[in-house]
Amino acid sequence: MKRILIVLLVLILSAGIFFSCSKENNKAPITMMQNKPEIDAALQAYGKIWTGKSGTEITIKSVGGSTGADLGQQLRADYAAGEMPDIFIIAGVEDYKEWESIILDLSDEAWVEKTSVAFTKDGKVFGFPVAVEGWGMAYNADILAKAGVNPAGLTTIGAYKTACAKIDSMKAELGLDSVISMAASADMGWVTAHHNFNSLLSNGLPYGDLSVVNDLLAGKVDKKRLSEYADWVELLFNYADKTVLTTGNYDSQVGAFATGKAAFLHQGNWTDPNMASANATFDMAFAPHGSMSTPTEGIFVAAPSFYVINKESKNIKAAKQFLNDMVFTDEGNNYMVNEAGMIPAYSNVTLNPAGKLSKSVQEWAAAGKVYSWSQYYFTNDFRDQSLAPIYNQFANGSIGKVEFIRYMTEAFEGLK
Amino acid sequence: MKKINGNNLTFWLFLAPVLLAFLMIIVIPFFVGAFYSLTDWNATARTGAELKFVGLKNFTDSFADPAFLYSFIITTIFTIINVIAINVVSIALALVVTSKLKLRNLHRVGFFIPYLIGGLILGYLWQFIFNNAVPAIGKAIPFMGFLADPENLLLSKVGTSVIALVIVASWQYAGYIMMIYVAAIEAVPTSLYEAAKIDGVNAWQRFRYITVPMIAQAFTITMFLTLVNSFKQFDVNYALTAGGPATIFMDKPIYGTELLAMNIYRTAFVSNNLAAGQARAVIFFIVLVIITLVQVRINKKKEIEL
Repeated sequence: MKRILIVLLVLILSAGIFFSCSKENNKAPITMMQNKPEIDAALQAYGKIWTGKSGTEITIKSVGGSTGADLGQQLRADYAAGEMPDIFIIAGVEDYKEWESIILDLSDEAWVEKTSVAFTKDGKVFGFPVAVEGWGMAYNADILAKAGVNPAGLTTIGAYKTACAKIDSMKAELGLDSVISMAASADMGWVTAHHNFNSLLSNGLPYGDLSVVNDLLAGKVDKKRLSEYADWVELLFNYADKTVLTTGNYDSQVGAFATGKAAFLHQGNWTDPNMASANATFDMAFAPHGSMSTPTEGIFVAAPSFYVINKESKNIKAAKQFLNDMVFTDEGNNYMVNEAGMIPAYSNVTLNPAGKLSKSVQEWAAAGKVYSWSQYYFTNDFRDQSLAPIYNQFANGSIGKVEFIRYMTEAFEGLK
Repeated sequence: MKKINGNNLTFWLFLAPVLLAFLMIIVIPFFVGAFYSLTDWNATARTGAELKFVGLKNFTDSFADPAFLYSFIITTIFTIINVIAINVVSIALALVVTSKLKLRNLHRVGFFIPYLIGGLILGYLWQFIFNNAVPAIGKAIPFMGFLADPENLLLSKVGTSVIALVIVASWQYAGYIMMIYVAAIEAVPTSLYEAAKIDGVNAWQRFRYITVPMIAQAFTITMFLTLVNSFKQFDVNYALTAGGPATIFMDKPIYGTELLAMNIYRTAFVSNNLAAGQARAVIFFIVLVIITLVQVRINKKKEIEL
């Protein structure tokens, strides 16, 4: 008994040395976590400028890309450890539900009036749109011109089949390794099971149409649409470089296109900074995903991710200030558009990004030829753990198109 | 009451920091974790999500999940190959660096250094070697052309990916295990070898009948370390293969090289089911304890005392 008492006493005393209390204060540093490694350098630099002006320290953490862990995993780990960042990113309604009870209502912020794509729920504004983004089939205009393919005609799967066959036959002449730069390794599930998957969900439908999404979520599979989509996936995989497709990461996928080794790239306008750093000077733009036999003239454009503020933050004022400054100060605008190369989602920002792919997204958007991003209506778990392995096997050739359709159908039927 | 013994107090005071650390980061989390495995806990801020007690549901669900069963099988296969590979390589290295070799200390350091590199970095490094450097060699040297064939990339198939994992894990860990063998081999009295030599015993017999029995206590340690480490393999797995390529098991598409630790991680943080991940971690712990107890018992029997 005596012994236990001594042990307890000693433990309590030494515990005092280990723990100390933290106080709330106005100058408390804030932490931000975001998921775009390609803008990390620009954002870090802007963070320093902002700290210099406001006097509040901001720490920026970037996760995602080819580092393996994605934002959601890191947030859950940090939340469990009680180190939730002050500003973090949600992408769509599934993420919102996950963090609902700690997301701050931002309806009264000044930037709300300047954007039409903020994240809203039940009439309240919660998310600050990071940027307008888009993807389609990015093409190397020089190679297409040399091969005699007109990108304007690439709106159906038939057109893609002809174009790919033609370019494929001229590979040696054009200096290509493959026609399409596509990745489907375990690391790159977000290219297949997130982005490519969206072709099935929204291609050819009016903007915001959720009929296919709702059917799939209810376990109802449109066999014809799925089988057309499977043809599209097969086409992409067939004309891809096997090495990049089955084992490549983001760098090897984007690199193959940036160095002129592939005519098409299955990525979005966020690759602009990568193109710049690879000195890719050729002309490039987006062509639609011609995933169906009926023409689909448009690319996938949306403001897919949003900064939200943690209600439990020790310095909410500074966090709000940080977001506002991005929209209303010259430094903030300069960072968003010129440094990070993003398409601003705010009407008062007059700068335009220099990246060729971003420009292409703006042109498609201005013409109103856009389709929604609907993949966020499915959970991360479903896309990463159920769908990604199916795509991966199809890419490896260990299953064929028939099995691909069967496993996809089974996965959707399991959602009921 | 008895007076507090001065010596006693000093004893506990000196022990306190370690005891506290042990309590805080091992004992308490272990029991808290075991408790959470019986609930539906997940680390998100959903509204209306309260901790509910669900009994053994997480355990029964785990055994019904093909991905978890598969990772048990693939981890066992990986562990068997890896334990053999590491021990064979490290004994060979230990014999080399205890022989009359020039610059043997330099060699010892060289073989040991990979152990000091983090597994994540190693994983990415070797991923580059397997995916880029090896095909580049294939392209550069005419008769090695098969290396550049995408069909032959180690990381493109499940079977060869496991081999790739073994290569990297052995490369990292063999130097460390080698050091244990070196210490054991150097402790064997040279008189035994001299006596054997006079009796006309050849090199293989000297190794088999003198070295091996004399370093049996080292085997207990190295087998334990390699077994536990292979079974717990996470960082190299995570960086090198990320679980890919996928495969079909029990008619369900799943990741083909997802070892147990990674399956637990994914259950907890990708599928966002921390309680189920915790339950799997408890299962993992129990299995590991049983395996290592059996192993240590078997190895102990083979040890000899001089």
